[in-house]
Amino acid sequence: MKQVIVSFFIVVLGVFVSASSQAGTTEVALKPIKVDRSLDSLRRGAQVVFDTCMRCHSLRYITYRDLLDMGLSKDEVDALRGDRGMGEYLQTTMPPAAAKFHFGMLPPDLSLMAKARKNGPSYIYTLLTSYEEMSNGKIDNPVFPGIRMPDILNVTVETAPEERAVVEQKARDVVAFLEWAADPRAQERRELGAYVLAYLVILTALLYWRKRKIWSRLDDA
Amino acid sequence: MAGRIIDWIDQRFPLTKFIKHELTEYPTPRNLSYWWNFGSLAGIVLVIQIVSGIFLAMHYKPDALMAFDSVEHIMRNVNYGWLIRYMHSTGASAFFIVIYIHMARTLFYGSYRAPRELMWWTGQVLLLMLMATAFMGYLLPWGQMSYWGAQVITSLFGATPFIGDDVVRWLRGDFVVGDATLTRFFALHYLFPFLIVGMVVIHLVALHMVKSSNPSGINLADKDNIPFHPYYTIKDLFGFGVFFIVFAYFVFYSPNTFIEADNYEPANPLKTPPHIVPEWYFLPFYAILRAIPDLLGGVVAMGVSVVIFALMPFLDRSKIPGGAKYRPIYRIMFALFVIDILVLSYVGLKPPSGTLVIVGQVATFVYFALFTLLPFISRWEERWLRKKGLPPEVEELIRQEEEEAAKRGRRA
Repeated sequence: MKQVIVSFFIVVLGVFVSASSQAGTTEVALKPIKVDRSLDSLRRGAQVVFDTCMRCHSLRYITYRDLLDMGLSKDEVDALRGDRGMGEYLQTTMPPAAAKFHFGMLPPDLSLMAKARKNGPSYIYTLLTSYEEMSNGKIDNPVFPGIRMPDILNVTVETAPEERAVVEQKARDVVAFLEWAADPRAQERRELGAYVLAYLVILTALLYWRKRKIWSRLDDA
Repeated sequence: MAGRIIDWIDQRFPLTKFIKHELTEYPTPRNLSYWWNFGSLAGIVLVIQIVSGIFLAMHYKPDALMAFDSVEHIMRNVNYGWLIRYMHSTGASAFFIVIYIHMARTLFYGSYRAPRELMWWTGQVLLLMLMATAFMGYLLPWGQMSYWGAQVITSLFGATPFIGDDVVRWLRGDFVVGDATLTRFFALHYLFPFLIVGMVVIHLVALHMVKSSNPSGINLADKDNIPFHPYYTIKDLFGFGVFFIVFAYFVFYSPNTFIEADNYEPANPLKTPPHIVPEWYFLPFYAILRAIPDLLGGVVAMGVSVVIFALMPFLDRSKIPGGAKYRPIYRIMFALFVIDILVLSYVGLKPPSGTLVIVGQVATFVYFALFTLLPFISRWEERWLRKKGLPPEVEELIRQEEEEAAKRGRRA
């Protein structure tokens, strides 16, 4: 009977896991990517975000000081911030009125984008790299039709394989930076988690051993 | 010295007596399986939620303009704020998993039967309180799914005849979910856990009156009992250890499994998400709501689907002990019920479409049919099994149970 019950709960778990992983995969086929969490990738990503994304987008939960925590040096941060204060958040240079005029809306804040979409990193990567020239000569993103964001990484222009490789690397770096921005404490979390899990496994093993020991008293009776 | 202090206390407060009666001499069946760990696990999850919740409340701002930012502030700037917050959000799901398994155990082994009806009913009240607390807590991060989930669920009360709109406005404190709703949900979300603690005490007092059920379904009152301490204190602690390993895995390595991506977007009353889903633990009931084409009918069906569990002591009329152990038909019904819940969860998760609507309606029908048919099936099953010939010791147990019940009847 026990096995029947156990297998039921395994099925329960299985259904929930498969159901929740299907929940977000709408019609859009995302290109799955593995995020490169190295400091080099984060540094390059920050540069691309500053040079291109932040012309329109802000990251209102990230300050320049946070970039120091991310691993950039004081000089690197100073170069990025210019005369803005260390405690200021990463704000776009585009005035809201201009954004409204050009796009009809305020471009969304990017701080949480890697978490605010299902499979956030793949979503961002797919979005950035899927621009195409349509048959009518207009540039659109068939994966996200009608998107108002222009082909900022020049996917449609730089079509030669080596150029394309550079563009895709840029997109990966942007993803790395935005994933960091969405959860700057993630690295700390994963590091601490290893210790916590190791502690819990040892503790639980000891408790099990104690339990066996205590319950063995009943065998004599 | 310590002995004298304890003597001093014992003359004024029954400390030693209490410890003896409720722990070191409290009789517990020695044959409890690990399915009996889930009650104490629910207790430890309640503690996690209250402690992490109190620390969250020190940094959270229940204000429509600040709530979302304050959660991000906790996640980014408060020392170990991310840990407290992820423990709390993961803890909510853990609570429901533990409680649902606890309930499934009760249903499978028939632990709701006399004399444990009050255990089952106080548990039912605890489930409702837990659901209310979870629902109100889900609004607090003030994300898109928080907002629209609350909008949808509060609007259900609009199905109340005649005064529907007033009830909805009264609940929200406004015409739509807004700042007034957020502040009152926060106040109640902070209050309810303490009411739950009170109800848990009642649940435990009832438990210590009737004692634990056990997998055999046999009343072990005097035979084969062992003291709770140290046997079950250590077994429960080991259970905590296993639980915390799984819990910590989710908190540290997959904390967003139980958080809808949409909820990392601030609440926007002007932008309805394309597909509003409740948290996973409400999905079966949500599917029942949607299965009925009429709003009032749907709301009533959903309400009934939650509280119908309370009727189990009346619906199950079999006298055969051991829950599903000696009862092949009941075992099949239990299995069907679990499968049905899974189907309903899946239907609740997906946007309604042609076939899924029908699947949802069939599953809803099966859900209620299982409860409705139980009185007849359980009676018939008992007669069939006794005619086929039960082992003499089981017949003997039934006779003893009947005597016990008669004695209880006389006392009352």
